[in-house]
Amino acid sequence: MSDFIRDKTAIAGIGLSQFGRGLEESQLQLGLVAFKDALDDAGLAREDVDGLSIHLGWPLGVDYDRIAEVFGLDIRYVNQSWLHGRFVTTALQHAALAVAAGMADCVACITAISFTRLRGFLGGPEDQEGTREEGGTHGEAPAYGLTAPASGAAMAMQRYMARYGATSEQLAEVAITFRKHAALNPRAVMRHPLTLADHQAARMVVDPLRLYDCCLITDAAACILVTSTERARDLNARPVTIAGMQGIRSGREEFIFAPRGLGLNQQTTGTPGARARDLEVYRAANIDRDAVDGLYTYDAFAPLVLFTLERFGFAGPGEAADWIQGGRIGLGGELPMNTSGGLLSEAHVAGWNSIAEMVRQLRGSAGASQIEGASVLQWGTAWGDSVILRN
Amino acid sequence: MTDTAYAKPLPRVTPDNAPFFEGLKAGELRLPRCADCGRFHYPPGPVCPYCFGQALEWAATGGRGAVSSWVVVHKAWFPAFEAEIPYNVVQVELDEGPRLTANMVDAAPGDLAVGLIVVAVADEVTPERYLLRFRRAD
Repeated sequence: MSDFIRDKTAIAGIGLSQFGRGLEESQLQLGLVAFKDALDDAGLAREDVDGLSIHLGWPLGVDYDRIAEVFGLDIRYVNQSWLHGRFVTTALQHAALAVAAGMADCVACITAISFTRLRGFLGGPEDQEGTREEGGTHGEAPAYGLTAPASGAAMAMQRYMARYGATSEQLAEVAITFRKHAALNPRAVMRHPLTLADHQAARMVVDPLRLYDCCLITDAAACILVTSTERARDLNARPVTIAGMQGIRSGREEFIFAPRGLGLNQQTTGTPGARARDLEVYRAANIDRDAVDGLYTYDAFAPLVLFTLERFGFAGPGEAADWIQGGRIGLGGELPMNTSGGLLSEAHVAGWNSIAEMVRQLRGSAGASQIEGASVLQWGTAWGDSVILRN
Repeated sequence: MTDTAYAKPLPRVTPDNAPFFEGLKAGELRLPRCADCGRFHYPPGPVCPYCFGQALEWAATGGRGAVSSWVVVHKAWFPAFEAEIPYNVVQVELDEGPRLTANMVDAAPGDLAVGLIVVAVADEVTPERYLLRFRRAD
Protein backbone atom coordinates (compact mmCIF):
# COMPACT_ATOMS: atom_id res chain seq x y z
CA MET A 1 0.00 0.00 0.00
CA SER A 2 1.30 3.44 -0.90
CA ASP A 3 1.11 6.43 1.41
CA PHE A 4 -2.22 7.26 -0.24
CA ILE A 5 -3.97 6.42 3.02
CA ARG A 6 -1.25 6.74 5.67
CA ASP A 7 -2.49 9.09 8.41
CA LYS A 8 -4.76 10.89 5.95
CA THR A 9 -7.89 9.94 7.87
CA ALA A 10 -8.69 9.87 11.55
CA ILE A 11 -11.22 8.74 14.09
CA ALA A 12 -12.72 11.99 15.33
CA GLY A 13 -15.46 10.66 17.56
CA ILE A 14 -16.52 7.56 19.45
CA GLY A 15 -19.90 6.86 20.95
CA LEU A 16 -21.33 3.96 22.92
CA SER A 17 -24.72 2.94 24.25
CA GLN A 18 -25.07 1.06 27.48
CA PHE A 19 -23.98 -2.57 27.24
CA GLY A 20 -26.22 -5.26 28.65
CA ARG A 21 -28.19 -8.46 28.25
CA GLY A 22 -31.88 -8.51 27.57
CA LEU A 23 -32.04 -4.75 26.98
CA GLU A 24 -35.52 -3.63 25.99
CA GLU A 25 -34.38 -0.86 23.64
CA SER A 26 -34.55 -1.39 19.91
CA GLN A 27 -31.39 -1.46 17.84
CA LEU A 28 -32.36 1.94 16.43
CA GLN A 29 -32.65 3.34 19.97
CA LEU A 30 -29.28 1.91 21.01
CA GLY A 31 -27.76 3.13 17.76
CA LEU A 32 -29.12 6.63 18.26
CA VAL A 33 -27.54 6.85 21.70
CA ALA A 34 -24.17 5.81 20.27
CA PHE A 35 -24.48 8.14 17.26
CA LYS A 36 -25.33 11.19 19.36
CA ASP A 37 -22.58 10.30 21.83
CA ALA A 38 -20.06 10.17 18.96
CA LEU A 39 -21.24 13.49 17.52
CA ASP A 40 -20.89 15.12 20.95
CA ASP A 41 -17.47 13.55 21.41
CA ALA A 42 -16.24 14.94 18.09
CA GLY A 43 -18.07 18.25 18.24
CA LEU A 44 -19.90 17.52 15.00
CA ALA A 45 -23.52 17.93 14.00
CA ARG A 46 -25.80 15.39 12.37
CA GLU A 47 -25.57 17.39 9.14
CA ASP A 48 -21.80 16.83 9.02
CA VAL A 49 -22.24 13.09 8.49
CA ASP A 50 -22.52 12.21 4.81
CA GLY A 51 -21.40 8.58 4.79
CA LEU A 52 -22.39 5.31 6.47
CA SER A 53 -20.32 2.16 6.76
CA ILE A 54 -22.15 -0.77 8.29
CA HIS A 55 -21.74 -4.52 8.52
CA LEU A 56 -24.33 -5.78 10.99
CA GLY A 57 -27.62 -5.01 9.29
CA TRP A 58 -31.05 -6.49 9.67
CA PRO A 59 -32.11 -8.61 11.52
CA LEU A 60 -29.33 -8.50 14.14
CA GLY A 61 -28.73 -4.80 13.63
CA VAL A 62 -29.94 -1.96 11.48
CA ASP A 63 -29.52 -1.40 7.75
CA TYR A 64 -28.03 1.79 6.37
CA ASP A 65 -31.21 2.97 4.64
CA ARG A 66 -33.29 2.65 7.79
CA ILE A 67 -30.67 4.51 9.84
CA ALA A 68 -30.55 7.27 7.23
CA GLU A 69 -34.31 7.73 7.07
CA VAL A 70 -34.98 7.39 10.79
CA PHE A 71 -32.10 9.65 11.86
CA GLY A 72 -32.84 12.11 9.06
CA LEU A 73 -29.43 11.89 7.42
CA ASP A 74 -28.52 13.00 3.92
CA ILE A 75 -26.00 10.37 2.82
CA ARG A 76 -23.79 10.28 -0.29
CA TYR A 77 -21.58 7.27 0.47
CA VAL A 78 -22.63 3.84 1.76
CA ASN A 79 -20.85 0.60 2.43
CA GLN A 80 -22.86 -2.25 3.92
CA SER A 81 -21.26 -5.67 3.89
CA TRP A 82 -22.15 -9.27 4.67
CA LEU A 83 -23.85 -9.52 8.05
CA HIS A 84 -20.93 -10.78 10.11
CA GLY A 85 -18.91 -9.39 12.96
CA ARG A 86 -15.78 -10.19 11.01
CA PHE A 87 -16.45 -7.23 8.71
CA VAL A 88 -15.77 -4.73 11.48
CA THR A 89 -12.36 -4.11 9.93
CA THR A 90 -13.74 -3.80 6.42
CA ALA A 91 -16.35 -1.30 7.60
CA LEU A 92 -13.69 0.87 9.22
CA GLN A 93 -11.43 0.54 6.18
CA HIS A 94 -14.19 1.55 3.77
CA ALA A 95 -14.88 4.61 5.89
CA ALA A 96 -11.23 5.64 5.65
CA LEU A 97 -11.03 4.88 1.93
CA ALA A 98 -14.18 6.86 1.18
CA VAL A 99 -12.91 9.89 3.07
CA ALA A 100 -9.45 9.65 1.51
CA ALA A 101 -11.01 9.39 -1.95
CA GLY A 102 -13.23 12.40 -1.36
CA MET A 103 -16.41 10.36 -1.63
CA ALA A 104 -17.48 11.47 1.84
CA ASP A 105 -16.41 14.06 4.40
CA CYS A 106 -17.44 12.17 7.51
CA VAL A 107 -18.45 8.52 7.65
CA ALA A 108 -20.32 7.06 10.61
CA CYS A 109 -19.68 3.39 11.34
CA ILE A 110 -22.76 2.46 13.32
CA THR A 111 -23.24 -0.97 14.87
CA ALA A 112 -26.36 -1.52 16.94
CA ILE A 113 -27.19 -5.11 17.81
CA SER A 114 -29.65 -7.03 19.97
CA PHE A 115 -28.06 -10.44 20.17
CA THR A 116 -30.09 -11.56 23.17
CA ARG A 117 -33.41 -10.93 21.43
CA LEU A 118 -32.22 -12.56 18.21
CA ARG A 119 -29.97 -15.31 19.48
CA GLY A 120 -31.80 -17.86 17.32
CA PHE A 121 -29.83 -16.53 14.38
CA LEU A 122 -26.60 -17.55 16.11
CA GLY A 123 -27.06 -21.27 15.54
CA GLY A 124 -29.77 -23.90 15.40
CA PRO A 125 -32.91 -24.21 13.27
CA GLU A 126 -33.33 -20.46 12.68
CA ASP A 127 -29.81 -20.05 11.32
CA GLN A 128 -30.39 -20.25 7.57
CA GLU A 129 -26.95 -19.02 6.63
CA GLY A 130 -25.26 -21.94 8.35
CA THR A 131 -27.03 -24.27 5.94
CA ARG A 132 -24.93 -23.13 2.98
CA GLU A 133 -24.02 -26.04 0.73
CA GLU A 134 -20.79 -27.79 1.77
CA GLY A 135 -20.63 -25.84 5.01
CA GLY A 136 -21.34 -22.46 6.52
CA THR A 137 -18.76 -19.73 6.70
CA HIS A 138 -17.75 -20.72 10.25
CA GLY A 139 -17.65 -24.43 9.38
CA GLU A 140 -21.27 -25.17 10.21
CA ALA A 141 -22.64 -28.54 9.06
CA PRO A 142 -26.20 -28.64 10.39
CA ALA A 143 -27.00 -32.06 8.94
CA TYR A 144 -24.41 -33.36 11.41
CA GLY A 145 -25.59 -31.17 14.27
CA LEU A 146 -22.75 -28.69 13.87
CA THR A 147 -24.02 -25.12 14.05
CA ALA A 148 -23.08 -21.67 15.38
CA PRO A 149 -19.72 -19.93 15.00
CA ALA A 150 -18.35 -21.79 18.03
CA SER A 151 -18.29 -24.96 15.94
CA GLY A 152 -15.49 -23.83 13.65
CA ALA A 153 -13.44 -22.30 16.45
CA ALA A 154 -13.72 -25.55 18.41
CA MET A 155 -12.70 -27.64 15.39
CA ALA A 156 -9.64 -25.42 14.89
CA MET A 157 -8.65 -25.46 18.57
CA GLN A 158 -8.92 -29.23 18.83
CA ARG A 159 -6.51 -29.67 15.94
CA TYR A 160 -4.21 -26.99 17.34
CA MET A 161 -4.15 -28.83 20.69
CA ALA A 162 -3.38 -32.14 18.99
CA ARG A 163 -0.62 -30.70 16.84
CA TYR A 164 1.11 -28.56 19.42
CA GLY A 165 0.15 -29.94 22.83
CA ALA A 166 -1.72 -26.80 23.87
CA THR A 167 -4.16 -27.32 26.74
CA SER A 168 -7.47 -25.94 27.94
CA GLU A 169 -5.64 -24.66 31.05
CA GLN A 170 -3.32 -22.63 28.84
CA LEU A 171 -6.21 -21.31 26.81
CA ALA A 172 -7.90 -20.16 30.04
CA GLU A 173 -5.24 -17.44 30.33
CA VAL A 174 -7.10 -15.50 27.61
CA ALA A 175 -10.45 -15.40 29.41
CA ILE A 176 -8.84 -14.79 32.81
CA THR A 177 -6.74 -11.88 31.49
CA PHE A 178 -9.59 -10.17 29.69
CA ARG A 179 -11.80 -10.57 32.76
CA LYS A 180 -9.15 -8.72 34.78
CA HIS A 181 -9.32 -5.95 32.20
CA ALA A 182 -13.11 -5.88 32.39
CA ALA A 183 -12.93 -5.53 36.17
CA LEU A 184 -11.36 -2.08 35.60
CA ASN A 185 -14.11 -1.06 33.16
CA PRO A 186 -17.44 0.06 34.65
CA ARG A 187 -19.17 -0.49 31.29
CA ALA A 188 -18.18 -4.17 31.09
CA VAL A 189 -20.94 -6.74 31.45
CA MET A 190 -18.79 -9.38 33.24
CA ARG A 191 -16.57 -7.93 35.97
CA HIS A 192 -16.28 -10.50 38.75
CA PRO A 193 -12.92 -12.29 38.94
CA LEU A 194 -12.47 -15.48 36.93
CA THR A 195 -10.07 -18.13 38.20
CA LEU A 196 -8.53 -21.09 36.43
CA ALA A 197 -10.69 -23.34 38.61
CA ASP A 198 -13.82 -21.44 37.52
CA HIS A 199 -12.77 -21.82 33.89
CA GLN A 200 -12.12 -25.54 34.17
CA ALA A 201 -15.31 -26.20 36.13
CA ALA A 202 -17.52 -24.40 33.60
CA ARG A 203 -19.61 -26.45 31.23
CA MET A 204 -18.37 -27.55 27.84
CA VAL A 205 -20.12 -25.83 24.95
CA VAL A 206 -18.37 -27.58 22.09
CA ASP A 207 -15.42 -29.62 23.28
CA PRO A 208 -12.70 -28.28 23.56
CA LEU A 209 -14.34 -24.87 24.13
CA ARG A 210 -15.73 -24.24 27.58
CA LEU A 211 -18.22 -21.55 28.52
CA TYR A 212 -15.65 -18.83 29.26
CA ASP A 213 -13.80 -19.50 26.01
CA CYS A 214 -16.89 -18.20 24.20
CA CYS A 215 -17.86 -14.54 24.03
CA LEU A 216 -20.83 -12.84 25.61
CA ILE A 217 -24.19 -12.54 23.90
CA THR A 218 -25.15 -8.93 24.59
CA ASP A 219 -27.11 -5.93 23.32
CA ALA A 220 -25.17 -2.79 22.60
CA ALA A 221 -24.31 -0.11 20.07
CA ALA A 222 -21.17 1.73 19.06
CA CYS A 223 -20.46 4.54 16.61
CA ILE A 224 -17.09 5.58 15.20
CA LEU A 225 -16.79 8.76 13.14
CA VAL A 226 -14.09 8.87 10.48
CA THR A 227 -13.07 12.11 8.78
CA SER A 228 -9.94 13.61 7.29
CA THR A 229 -7.06 14.13 9.69
CA GLU A 230 -6.91 17.75 8.60
CA ARG A 231 -10.50 18.28 9.63
CA ALA A 232 -10.18 16.21 12.79
CA ARG A 233 -7.47 18.56 14.05
CA ASP A 234 -10.11 21.31 14.30
CA LEU A 235 -12.53 19.16 16.29
CA ASN A 236 -12.94 18.40 19.99
CA ALA A 237 -10.65 15.48 20.58
CA ARG A 238 -7.06 14.68 19.77
CA PRO A 239 -7.19 12.93 16.37
CA VAL A 240 -6.39 9.24 16.27
CA THR A 241 -5.11 8.59 12.78
CA ILE A 242 -5.52 5.50 10.65
CA ALA A 243 -1.88 4.78 9.90
CA GLY A 244 -2.08 1.57 7.87
CA MET A 245 -4.46 -1.16 6.80
CA GLN A 246 -4.57 -4.63 5.28
CA GLY A 247 -7.58 -6.63 4.18
CA ILE A 248 -9.24 -9.98 4.89
CA ARG A 249 -7.40 -12.98 3.53
CA SER A 250 -9.35 -15.70 1.74
CA GLY A 251 -8.59 -18.82 -0.27
CA ARG A 252 -8.07 -22.53 0.16
CA GLU A 253 -5.24 -21.89 2.62
CA GLU A 254 -7.53 -19.75 4.74
CA PHE A 255 -10.21 -20.49 7.27
CA ILE A 256 -11.42 -17.52 9.31
CA PHE A 257 -10.90 -19.32 12.61
CA ALA A 258 -7.47 -20.85 11.95
CA PRO A 259 -3.93 -19.69 11.25
CA ARG A 260 -2.56 -20.68 7.87
CA GLY A 261 -1.14 -24.18 7.83
CA LEU A 262 -3.25 -25.54 10.70
CA GLY A 263 -4.97 -28.01 8.39
CA LEU A 264 -8.63 -27.05 8.73
CA ASN A 265 -11.03 -27.46 5.85
CA GLN A 266 -8.91 -27.44 2.68
CA GLN A 267 -5.80 -25.83 4.19
CA THR A 268 -2.54 -27.68 3.72
CA THR A 269 -0.83 -28.70 6.95
CA GLY A 270 2.44 -26.90 7.63
CA THR A 271 4.04 -24.18 9.71
CA PRO A 272 4.29 -21.23 7.35
CA GLY A 273 4.33 -18.57 10.07
CA ALA A 274 3.88 -14.92 9.19
CA ARG A 275 5.11 -14.11 5.68
CA ALA A 276 5.92 -10.71 4.26
CA ARG A 277 2.49 -10.39 2.67
CA ASP A 278 0.87 -11.13 6.03
CA LEU A 279 2.64 -8.12 7.52
CA GLU A 280 1.73 -5.45 4.98
CA VAL A 281 0.01 -3.40 7.65
CA TYR A 282 3.32 -2.53 9.32
CA ARG A 283 4.85 -1.37 6.05
CA ALA A 284 1.67 0.57 5.32
CA ALA A 285 2.05 2.41 8.62
CA ASN A 286 5.83 2.61 8.14
CA ILE A 287 6.57 1.02 11.50
CA ASP A 288 8.20 -2.12 12.85
CA ARG A 289 5.97 -4.57 14.66
CA ASP A 290 7.96 -3.80 17.81
CA ALA A 291 6.44 -0.30 17.79
CA VAL A 292 2.99 -1.71 18.63
CA ASP A 293 2.08 -0.80 22.23
CA GLY A 294 -1.05 -2.93 22.38
CA LEU A 295 -2.95 -5.43 20.23
CA TYR A 296 -6.72 -5.58 19.92
CA THR A 297 -8.56 -8.45 18.34
CA TYR A 298 -11.94 -10.01 17.66
CA ASP A 299 -12.08 -12.40 20.62
CA ALA A 300 -15.38 -14.11 19.83
CA PHE A 301 -13.62 -17.28 21.00
CA ALA A 302 -10.44 -17.48 23.05
CA PRO A 303 -8.50 -19.49 20.41
CA LEU A 304 -8.79 -16.53 18.03
CA VAL A 305 -6.43 -14.62 20.31
CA LEU A 306 -3.78 -17.31 19.87
CA PHE A 307 -4.31 -17.46 16.12
CA THR A 308 -4.08 -13.68 15.78
CA LEU A 309 -0.76 -13.61 17.63
CA GLU A 310 0.57 -16.20 15.18
CA ARG A 311 -0.95 -14.45 12.14
CA PHE A 312 1.07 -11.36 12.82
CA GLY A 313 4.20 -13.14 13.99
CA PHE A 314 4.15 -12.07 17.64
CA ALA A 315 4.38 -15.80 18.33
CA GLY A 316 5.62 -18.56 16.03
CA PRO A 317 3.40 -21.36 14.69
CA GLY A 318 2.06 -23.41 17.60
CA GLU A 319 3.76 -21.20 20.18
CA ALA A 320 1.02 -18.74 21.16
CA ALA A 321 -0.51 -20.86 23.94
CA ASP A 322 2.85 -20.82 25.73
CA TRP A 323 3.59 -17.24 24.71
CA ILE A 324 0.54 -15.71 26.41
CA GLN A 325 1.28 -17.16 29.85
CA GLY A 326 2.51 -15.12 32.78
CA GLY A 327 0.73 -11.85 32.15
CA ARG A 328 2.21 -11.16 28.73
CA ILE A 329 -1.11 -10.00 27.19
CA GLY A 330 -2.35 -8.27 30.35
CA LEU A 331 -2.10 -4.62 31.31
CA GLY A 332 1.49 -4.04 32.34
CA GLY A 333 2.62 -6.95 30.19
CA GLU A 334 4.74 -7.01 27.06
CA LEU A 335 1.77 -6.78 24.70
CA PRO A 336 -1.49 -5.77 26.38
CA MET A 337 -4.52 -7.04 24.48
CA ASN A 338 -8.21 -6.07 24.59
CA THR A 339 -7.73 -3.78 27.57
CA SER A 340 -11.44 -3.04 28.03
CA GLY A 341 -12.33 -6.73 28.35
CA GLY A 342 -13.13 -7.60 24.74
CA LEU A 343 -16.05 -9.64 23.50
CA LEU A 344 -15.25 -12.21 26.17
CA SER A 345 -15.94 -9.94 29.14
CA GLU A 346 -16.88 -6.37 28.14
CA ALA A 347 -19.62 -6.92 25.54
CA HIS A 348 -20.09 -8.26 22.01
CA VAL A 349 -20.21 -5.09 19.99
CA ALA A 350 -18.52 -6.90 17.11
CA GLY A 351 -15.15 -5.45 18.03
CA TRP A 352 -16.22 -1.80 17.95
CA ASN A 353 -15.99 -1.77 21.74
CA SER A 354 -12.29 -2.55 21.38
CA ILE A 355 -11.82 0.04 18.64
CA ALA A 356 -13.40 2.65 20.92
CA GLU A 357 -11.00 1.51 23.65
CA MET A 358 -8.04 1.95 21.27
CA VAL A 359 -9.15 5.53 20.67
CA ARG A 360 -9.42 6.20 24.41
CA GLN A 361 -5.95 4.72 24.90
CA LEU A 362 -4.45 6.90 22.18
CA ARG A 363 -6.10 10.00 23.65
CA GLY A 364 -4.70 9.07 27.04
CA SER A 365 -8.19 8.88 28.48
CA ALA A 366 -8.43 5.15 29.28
CA GLY A 367 -8.39 5.74 33.03
CA ALA A 368 -7.43 2.73 35.13
CA SER A 369 -6.81 0.73 31.94
CA GLN A 370 -4.38 3.20 30.41
CA ILE A 371 -1.33 1.72 28.67
CA GLU A 372 1.36 4.15 29.70
CA GLY A 373 2.59 6.16 26.75
CA ALA A 374 0.44 4.34 24.20
CA SER A 375 1.20 5.82 20.79
CA VAL A 376 0.70 2.96 18.30
CA LEU A 377 -2.03 0.33 18.64
CA GLN A 378 -2.94 -2.48 16.28
CA TRP A 379 -6.32 -3.95 15.49
CA GLY A 380 -5.76 -7.36 13.89
CA THR A 381 -7.91 -10.45 13.48
CA ALA A 382 -7.54 -14.19 13.11
CA TRP A 383 -8.67 -13.82 9.48
CA GLY A 384 -5.71 -11.60 8.79
CA ASP A 385 -7.04 -8.08 8.36
CA SER A 386 -5.70 -5.19 10.37
CA VAL A 387 -5.73 -1.47 11.02
CA ILE A 388 -3.00 0.42 12.86
CA LEU A 389 -4.03 3.51 14.78
CA ARG A 390 -1.73 6.12 16.26
CA ASN A 391 -1.90 9.50 17.95
CA MET B 1 -40.02 -42.34 6.41
CA THR B 2 -40.38 -39.33 4.15
CA ASP B 3 -38.13 -36.30 4.11
CA THR B 4 -40.72 -34.34 6.04
CA ALA B 5 -40.74 -36.92 8.85
CA TYR B 6 -36.99 -36.60 9.32
CA ALA B 7 -36.60 -33.88 11.96
CA LYS B 8 -32.92 -33.01 11.47
CA PRO B 9 -31.63 -30.61 8.84
CA LEU B 10 -30.71 -32.16 5.50
CA PRO B 11 -28.00 -30.83 3.18
CA ARG B 12 -29.12 -28.70 0.26
CA VAL B 13 -28.78 -30.52 -3.05
CA THR B 14 -27.59 -28.30 -5.87
CA PRO B 15 -26.35 -28.79 -9.44
CA ASP B 16 -22.81 -28.60 -8.03
CA ASN B 17 -23.14 -31.27 -5.37
CA ALA B 18 -25.90 -33.62 -6.62
CA PRO B 19 -23.40 -36.30 -7.81
CA PHE B 20 -22.00 -36.47 -4.26
CA PHE B 21 -25.38 -37.57 -2.92
CA GLU B 22 -26.00 -39.88 -5.88
CA GLY B 23 -22.68 -41.49 -5.02
CA LEU B 24 -23.71 -42.09 -1.42
CA LYS B 25 -26.92 -43.71 -2.62
CA ALA B 26 -24.77 -46.07 -4.71
CA GLY B 27 -22.59 -46.80 -1.68
CA GLU B 28 -19.62 -44.76 -2.89
CA LEU B 29 -17.90 -41.63 -1.67
CA ARG B 30 -17.52 -39.75 -4.95
CA LEU B 31 -15.74 -36.45 -5.32
CA PRO B 32 -14.88 -34.26 -8.29
CA ARG B 33 -11.52 -35.03 -9.91
CA CYS B 34 -9.75 -32.99 -12.52
CA ALA B 35 -8.94 -34.89 -15.70
CA ASP B 36 -6.09 -32.47 -16.44
CA CYS B 37 -4.12 -32.60 -13.18
CA GLY B 38 -5.66 -35.72 -11.68
CA ARG B 39 -6.38 -34.20 -8.29
CA PHE B 40 -9.56 -34.62 -6.27
CA HIS B 41 -10.99 -31.49 -4.71
CA TYR B 42 -13.74 -30.26 -2.40
CA PRO B 43 -16.05 -28.38 -2.23
CA PRO B 44 -17.41 -29.19 -5.71
CA GLY B 45 -17.71 -26.48 -8.31
CA PRO B 46 -17.32 -25.79 -12.01
CA VAL B 47 -13.51 -25.67 -12.07
CA CYS B 48 -10.43 -27.32 -10.58
CA PRO B 49 -9.15 -24.98 -7.86
CA TYR B 50 -5.59 -26.23 -8.38
CA CYS B 51 -5.01 -26.04 -12.16
CA PHE B 52 -8.15 -24.06 -13.13
CA GLY B 53 -9.05 -26.78 -15.63
CA GLN B 54 -12.69 -27.50 -16.38
CA ALA B 55 -12.42 -31.12 -17.45
CA LEU B 56 -13.95 -32.46 -14.25
CA GLU B 57 -15.36 -35.89 -13.54
CA TRP B 58 -16.93 -37.40 -10.46
CA ALA B 59 -14.93 -40.42 -9.33
CA ALA B 60 -15.11 -42.82 -6.41
CA THR B 61 -12.58 -42.30 -3.65
CA GLY B 62 -11.39 -45.18 -1.49
CA GLY B 63 -13.53 -43.73 1.30
CA ARG B 64 -10.59 -44.03 3.67
CA GLY B 65 -8.94 -41.27 5.66
CA ALA B 66 -7.77 -39.99 9.01
CA VAL B 67 -9.55 -37.82 11.53
CA SER B 68 -7.94 -34.38 11.21
CA SER B 69 -10.05 -32.78 13.93
CA TRP B 70 -13.12 -33.48 16.03
CA VAL B 71 -15.48 -31.80 18.43
CA VAL B 72 -18.15 -32.95 20.86
CA VAL B 73 -21.30 -30.85 20.94
CA HIS B 74 -22.72 -30.36 24.43
CA LYS B 75 -25.22 -27.59 23.75
CA ALA B 76 -28.75 -28.25 22.50
CA TRP B 77 -28.87 -25.86 19.57
CA PHE B 78 -31.11 -28.24 17.59
CA PRO B 79 -34.10 -29.82 19.35
CA ALA B 80 -33.77 -32.76 16.96
CA PHE B 81 -30.26 -33.51 18.23
CA GLU B 82 -30.98 -32.96 21.91
CA ALA B 83 -31.43 -36.64 22.79
CA GLU B 84 -27.98 -37.42 21.38
CA ILE B 85 -25.99 -34.87 23.39
CA PRO B 86 -23.06 -35.11 23.70
CA TYR B 87 -22.44 -36.10 20.09
CA ASN B 88 -19.38 -35.90 17.90
CA VAL B 89 -18.60 -34.16 14.64
CA VAL B 90 -15.35 -35.00 12.90
CA GLN B 91 -13.34 -33.59 10.06
CA VAL B 92 -11.67 -36.33 8.04
CA GLU B 93 -8.77 -35.94 5.64
CA LEU B 94 -9.31 -38.51 2.91
CA ASP B 95 -6.33 -40.40 1.50
CA GLU B 96 -7.04 -38.47 -1.73
CA GLY B 97 -6.56 -35.13 0.10
CA PRO B 98 -9.90 -33.36 0.57
CA ARG B 99 -11.31 -32.92 4.08
CA LEU B 100 -14.98 -33.61 4.77
CA THR B 101 -17.08 -32.97 7.87
CA ALA B 102 -19.46 -35.64 9.20
CA ASN B 103 -20.28 -37.68 12.30
CA MET B 104 -18.50 -40.81 13.42
CA VAL B 105 -20.76 -43.73 14.19
CA ASP B 106 -20.14 -46.23 16.99
CA ALA B 107 -17.64 -43.93 18.68
CA ALA B 108 -17.66 -42.78 22.29
CA PRO B 109 -16.17 -39.32 22.95
CA GLY B 110 -13.09 -41.01 24.43
CA ASP B 111 -12.46 -42.85 21.16
CA LEU B 112 -11.97 -39.68 19.17
CA ALA B 113 -8.44 -38.68 18.27
CA VAL B 114 -6.64 -36.81 15.54
CA GLY B 115 -5.06 -39.37 13.24
CA LEU B 116 -7.63 -42.11 13.83
CA ILE B 117 -8.06 -44.09 10.60
CA VAL B 118 -11.66 -44.19 9.44
CA VAL B 119 -13.74 -45.33 6.49
CA ALA B 120 -16.83 -43.76 4.95
CA VAL B 121 -20.31 -45.14 5.47
CA ALA B 122 -23.43 -44.13 3.55
CA ASP B 123 -26.24 -43.72 6.06
CA GLU B 124 -29.79 -44.00 4.70
CA VAL B 125 -31.64 -41.39 6.75
CA THR B 126 -34.76 -41.36 4.57
CA PRO B 127 -35.66 -43.56 1.57
CA GLU B 128 -34.39 -40.77 -0.68
CA ARG B 129 -31.57 -39.24 1.31
CA TYR B 130 -28.20 -40.56 2.40
CA LEU B 131 -25.68 -38.87 4.67
CA LEU B 132 -21.96 -39.45 4.87
CA ARG B 133 -20.71 -40.88 8.17
CA PHE B 134 -17.41 -42.41 9.19
CA ARG B 135 -16.53 -45.42 11.33
CA ARG B 136 -13.25 -46.77 12.62
CA ALA B 137 -11.35 -48.69 9.97
CA ASP B 138 -10.45 -51.67 12.16
